[in-house]
Amino acid sequence: MSFFTFAWDWVTQAANWHGPGSIPHQVLAHLGYSGLSLLVAALIAIPLGIAIGHTGRGAVFVVNLANAWRAIPTLGLLILLAVLLGFSFVTWLVPLVVLAIPPILVNTYEGVAGVDRGVKDAALGAGMTGWQQVTRVEVPIAMPLILVGLRTAAIFMVATATIAAYIGLGGLGRYIVDGLASDQYGPVAGGALLVIILAVAVLALFAGLSRLIIPAGLRRQGRSE
Amino acid sequence: MSWSWVSVNGSLIWQLTRQTAYLGVVPALIGLAISVPLGVTAARWRWFSPPALAAVNVIYAIPSLALFIALIPALGLSDTNVIVALTLFSLCIMVPNVIAGLRSVAEPVRQAATAMGYGQLRQLVGVELPLATPVIIGGLRVAVVSSISLASVGQLIGVSSLGYLFIDGLQRSFPTEIYVGLVLIIVLALACDLVLVGARRALTPWAAR
Amino acid sequence: MAVDALDLEVPAGKTMVLVGPSGCGKTTTLRMINRLVEPTEGRVLLDGRDVRQSNPAQLRRGIGYVIQQTGLFPHRTVQDNIATVPLLDGWPRKKARARARDLLALVGLDPALAPRYPYQLSGGQQQRVGVARALAADPPVLLMDEPFSAVDPLIRASLQDELVRLQTELRKTVVLVTHDIEEAIKVGDLVALYRPDGRLAQVDAPQRLLGMPVDSYVSDFVGFDRGIRLLSFFRATGLNLRAEPIVGSDSTVAKALGAARDAGQPWILVTDSDGKPRGWLPAERLAPLADDTPLGTVPAEEFGHTFTVETDSLRAALDAALLSPAGQAIGVDSAGRVAGLLSYDQLRAAVQAAEATTKDAAGDAEQQPRSLRA
Repeated sequence: MSFFTFAWDWVTQAANWHGPGSIPHQVLAHLGYSGLSLLVAALIAIPLGIAIGHTGRGAVFVVNLANAWRAIPTLGLLILLAVLLGFSFVTWLVPLVVLAIPPILVNTYEGVAGVDRGVKDAALGAGMTGWQQVTRVEVPIAMPLILVGLRTAAIFMVATATIAAYIGLGGLGRYIVDGLASDQYGPVAGGALLVIILAVAVLALFAGLSRLIIPAGLRRQGRSE
Repeated sequence: MSWSWVSVNGSLIWQLTRQTAYLGVVPALIGLAISVPLGVTAARWRWFSPPALAAVNVIYAIPSLALFIALIPALGLSDTNVIVALTLFSLCIMVPNVIAGLRSVAEPVRQAATAMGYGQLRQLVGVELPLATPVIIGGLRVAVVSSISLASVGQLIGVSSLGYLFIDGLQRSFPTEIYVGLVLIIVLALACDLVLVGARRALTPWAAR
Repeated sequence: MAVDALDLEVPAGKTMVLVGPSGCGKTTTLRMINRLVEPTEGRVLLDGRDVRQSNPAQLRRGIGYVIQQTGLFPHRTVQDNIATVPLLDGWPRKKARARARDLLALVGLDPALAPRYPYQLSGGQQQRVGVARALAADPPVLLMDEPFSAVDPLIRASLQDELVRLQTELRKTVVLVTHDIEEAIKVGDLVALYRPDGRLAQVDAPQRLLGMPVDSYVSDFVGFDRGIRLLSFFRATGLNLRAEPIVGSDSTVAKALGAARDAGQPWILVTDSDGKPRGWLPAERLAPLADDTPLGTVPAEEFGHTFTVETDSLRAALDAALLSPAGQAIGVDSAGRVAGLLSYDQLRAAVQAAEATTKDAAGDAEQQPRSLRA
């Protein structure tokens, strides 16, 4: 049997849709963990990225962070904090936030810092204050990249929250970790499929969001990771 | 931090490090071998590039653990499973880079090559790919670093790597093991990154820095 | 880029062009006016007031600013780009957009472009929008940094014409930076020519820069053909045109030959029934023909182009003479009817007379009321 038949058989069992630990329950929990981490990370990383991009101060730090953050093994960081801090709210929130910050920070910085020099000069020359330059020109123009950063972080959070089940977090990762522990491939495959669907749904959500948020004048321009 | 544990388990640590390097570097290299022809195709036949990039985006969104699990029926709990999964991710990183690299070749350079009588293949091999090398190696760097770091997740399906130190350290509540695993993975990733930076400088002496 | 010991006055309502090699500090000078660059010493006075006494943002809203890369905001429509400063000044959006559409027309663009985005415009159109944006809040002063350098020569020429036309209408105090001496001479009331070290070589009206360069640096910079270009500053109105030999096409070979003989000229201009030029005939071609042959039946040489006596310059007259098969310029009136002919010799005398007046012609430019000291 293939992955999909295993996964589908398990997902469609009526018993998995009711009671505590049911699929709807774990999907919500998974979204909750990912969403909360993303929100906290965004509240830290977006203002910081804008400030660094606008002033140019701290740019070296951000550029190096961009290279370093992929090297951090998520599983190791989660486990280390769990062992050091115990299993608590902080244990899973801190590493998730820490891991979500770099892509948002780096993309926000690049978006703001990368605004065309002529455009920045024109904004200044038109008599905009620093705040007006940021809010009316730099952030709207950086919006495609800020959204890319948020999207990357959101997808990353869905994946990381799955792994966090290993240190006791709820969510869809529970099915995978518990199934692996008891050698049952059904829930493992089912959990994996749901995680994949969730990740792709987040991707689609951001695709829709960018259509809504990105100004039409910028939409033609290419976007990159 | 228990240094005695480190010295007693030196050979285990060394073996796990080699295994991690293997699981990280091989997928990136296979990814390079596949992404160059794919990228060339996408850069040449423009219609191929949007669907390729869309597919890449979707595959890259799949969490690594879920992909390992999805490959179990076909490949089992093996090194091959992790290598195939990480190769897919490497492709997702590198195909857009190859396309971007080829497109970054300045149009006048391309036209000059054509005007001097380069054939399509010779122009690709002799002019476009060399000029795209810095961008392609940039992608390779990200692929290697990510693969090394993600390989540790394979431990959850029983594929051995430095990730073993995380799981074992958690079960024994022994932070030293976890520190060692973290540090070695990061050092290994940065070492591979440095090697690639050196390779880029050696291969593209004309590029700045 | 360094600017050193610069003393420059820009008269109100005039166009001052800063020109010089790259790196000479002309852009720095410009950017000191709206405080994008702060001078380490010295002062910049605007209407007698030190610009450093004003809040920079407030100051800049009162000064239009146009740059080479246009700097149009890619996320805003054309009308909202133009309305930038009015909106900053707190105008209601509706009023600001109406103003934007008026400005589109003013700079020669179709107001239907208002809802477009910058990427949908050509380079020349973008540059016109840049000018419209700078004019939106009707600032008395306009700073232009290489405004036309990024567009191709044909469009550049039309944008320059447009600026000259706008200036006759708006009378802004314009400071324009360029590396192109042709542009400086074409659009400037005054030209400040920089040396590579950031000092001024000469500040003068264009015709004085061409006619009386202070040293070899200036004459090299304005070019070896400055004599010819100088002629474009002199009207052709005062020229004494010859009326002979001009013959209507309904006339005969005998009359034409007679006119040529009287005037002592080997070429005869034939006109049509409206008095407009039809073509040149060499006397030697007519000589073998029968006396009563109508001129209309003899094939004539193309007359090339003419100059309009009331509006054209000496340069246009010289040009017309050079390109004529007869070596004579045909002067016409505003309706295109032949007013008379002009030979090289006559032109040379006129040119010499013009050069003698160069000194007086440019002198008055410096006595304008001062407005902007940079």
